[in-house]
Amino acid sequence: MAIPPGSAPPAETIAGIYVVDPTRPLPLAGGGVPAFAVTDRRTGRTDVMALQVAPHVPARPQHLQVLTKPMEGLLTPLAHGKGPAIGGEAGYFVICNRPPGPPVSATLQPWPESALISLVLRPIAHALDVLRAQTLTHRAIRAENVFQGQPGQAVVLGAAWAAPPAMHQPAAYEPPYSAMCLPAGRGEGSLGDDIYALGVLLVTLAVGRVPMAGLDEAAVTRRKLELGSYAAVVGDGRLPPGIADLVGGMLAEDPDHRPSLKILLDLTAARGRKVATRPPQRAQRPLQIGHTAVWNVRMLAYAVSSEPEPGLQVLFGATLMPWLRRGLGEAALAVRIEEMLRLRADRGRNSEPYADAMLAMQIVTMIDPLAPLCWDGLTLWPDGIGPAFAVAHAADPETLARLESLVLTEAIAIWATMREERSDPGSLRLAARQYRGWLQTRGPSGGLPRVLYMLNPMLPCGSTLAAGRGVVGLTDVPAALEAAATTADRGAEPLDSHTVAFIAARSDRRLTMDINALNVTELESRLVSQLRLLSELQIRFDPRPLPALAGWFAAQAGPLVERWKNRARRAEIATGLASLAAAGHLAPMLALIEDHANLAADSDAAGLAASALERIEGELAEIDGGGPGRAVVATRTGQEIAAGMGLAALATALILAALG
Amino acid sequence: MSKATAQPKSGGGGGLMWLQGLACGAMVALVPGTSLLLGVLLAPGLAALVLDRQPGRPIARSVLLFGGAFCIGPVSALWSAGQSVEAALGIVGDINSIGTAWSAAAAGWFMAELIPLVVRVVLEAAGVARAARLRAARAKLIEEWGPDQPPGQ
Repeated sequence: MAIPPGSAPPAETIAGIYVVDPTRPLPLAGGGVPAFAVTDRRTGRTDVMALQVAPHVPARPQHLQVLTKPMEGLLTPLAHGKGPAIGGEAGYFVICNRPPGPPVSATLQPWPESALISLVLRPIAHALDVLRAQTLTHRAIRAENVFQGQPGQAVVLGAAWAAPPAMHQPAAYEPPYSAMCLPAGRGEGSLGDDIYALGVLLVTLAVGRVPMAGLDEAAVTRRKLELGSYAAVVGDGRLPPGIADLVGGMLAEDPDHRPSLKILLDLTAARGRKVATRPPQRAQRPLQIGHTAVWNVRMLAYAVSSEPEPGLQVLFGATLMPWLRRGLGEAALAVRIEEMLRLRADRGRNSEPYADAMLAMQIVTMIDPLAPLCWDGLTLWPDGIGPAFAVAHAADPETLARLESLVLTEAIAIWATMREERSDPGSLRLAARQYRGWLQTRGPSGGLPRVLYMLNPMLPCGSTLAAGRGVVGLTDVPAALEAAATTADRGAEPLDSHTVAFIAARSDRRLTMDINALNVTELESRLVSQLRLLSELQIRFDPRPLPALAGWFAAQAGPLVERWKNRARRAEIATGLASLAAAGHLAPMLALIEDHANLAADSDAAGLAASALERIEGELAEIDGGGPGRAVVATRTGQEIAAGMGLAALATALILAALG
Repeated sequence: MSKATAQPKSGGGGGLMWLQGLACGAMVALVPGTSLLLGVLLAPGLAALVLDRQPGRPIARSVLLFGGAFCIGPVSALWSAGQSVEAALGIVGDINSIGTAWSAAAAGWFMAELIPLVVRVVLEAAGVARAARLRAARAKLIEEWGPDQPPGQ
């Protein structure tokens, strides 16, 4: 039922239009992300849904910004924002149209070739083409996220905006070089990755079952690397001949070898195209590295990247080179690896911090240039480092420490330089330097929190004060701190390092000076800077009164009031602060505290008073200690007076005698 | 060096003493009556000169000045009587003359002792009053500019 336009929207309405009902979940509609029913309060329509963004898993900001119009065959985002709380935490939701029906995974059965082409391949390729035109990828093409209204209708591609790219993709749908990455660190990828996933979807629907079902993620990745994606995904399934040719290209390991969308949309060209991908050279016997039985060089790279410790033992051991030369005929690769190992040995294996991690990364990149960045057991694509940081920060300190070391060593730049033809080394070098700069920035606005928020534009503020309040932008900060101020410890400072880093990451240049001013050790200066920054935020983003936050500052303002030396003035300032705090506006409080003219006059007067006090103390000391001196003076003076009296008497006698 | 500079001073002081002795001897030789009369009447002052070890001999100075004031009359009388030793002995034998002169000398000693005490009392009273005024000013300054709470409380 539509709500009259004049009525005020409920507080938790998204974009002033969409009302989320957290009590009505929509199973299977979110494609792996929790989905809830939504009512459009303008029109009353209910064919929309809300996808919940997990608190520590950022949504995809570029997609939410660019995809603003509904599209045929794709559940594009209509709006996004804070909604009702779920599980005690403020919910953040992405609003999309509801899928037209269940996901195709709900009733898996073999689809005929014609249906696969007309109902699946073409609509999805068309949607991908629209995304490509806006330099976007989907990265969530899988049977659970492709929906069909009625049999015979074209499928609709589900939403992929409420979580990092490919985070919820099973390894079967991802190229092995994406599947081996941290789920949150797979990065935006390329159109080729979407085409790969579409190929796996076609195989799934063609054979009526999910490929490699029952294998764990690592096993799926190993199988793809061992057999090649096509052989691993298709297995013993029987594909229609046209689909088999198509999928053979779509599942090529090298993204450059996968067919373009133009080819996919023109089946005649697609059928005439045969991609001759050389299967990886397989050794006669495997090389065991950790838990992986390595049969080819791609598996060697994977084993070293996923298990660096045993991997490095094998690299420095005696078995690898004969295995490479005789087992795989990769003599040239063996020579290059030996050269790199010799260089490392010359410099001393542990001569630098993270030397082993750096060596493993360089050797993996040399062995398999298609491989993502590996670092100390982690694997990720550089553009996925932001979400990887976010997820690790929430729950995985060990991974977080490794990511920090990755940033500190600027390994991304080295990795990019080693594979220049497949990446943009210039921009990646700049990015690596910038990440390191953020991490090494001193003060509350730098360090890990700064990296976290700079790399994740939609990550909510993780401060203990703002946690659970859905602080995604600067507009949310004043209200969140106001709410926190009612329960917070008044002895703590209102802005902690997470909040400052969040503000620094989200603010424009106008706040830079105020943020930099927080990097001081003196409590008074820091409190003034905090008050100035928050008053700026209040003025610019949320001019409502903030009495609790202002009261918090007033309670903290003791050292600031103490800067006034005149006791009466101090009392006046304290009273003024209390009354301004009750009004809830921070700028007048700042003006009262930062009254430089009066403060200088007070300081001058205090200086004069101190001088006067010093003089008085000196005089009192002189008086207290001047007894002997006064005795001497009294004696001398008294004796002079006595002598004077005697002289007067003598003179008088002489005068009298003279007068007769 | 200090010895070299001290010797001429010592010689000068000795010279002065010698001159004073010569003057006294000349006076005794030339005017024995007057010398006798002054020697007796100013005996307390001369004794004070010997006993007073303070620099400048302030007590002896007062005693001599006060005693000297009351020697004018007897000396004038001696000179009127021809300045003879007999006349001097006659005046010296007059108890009134000696009593007056010596009482004056005693008054001089008393003044030299009393007046410093009075001055000391006056100076101490002035100091106490000044300290009270300063303490009041200090209390006012502290009240106006001091911390709200003394340190440690």
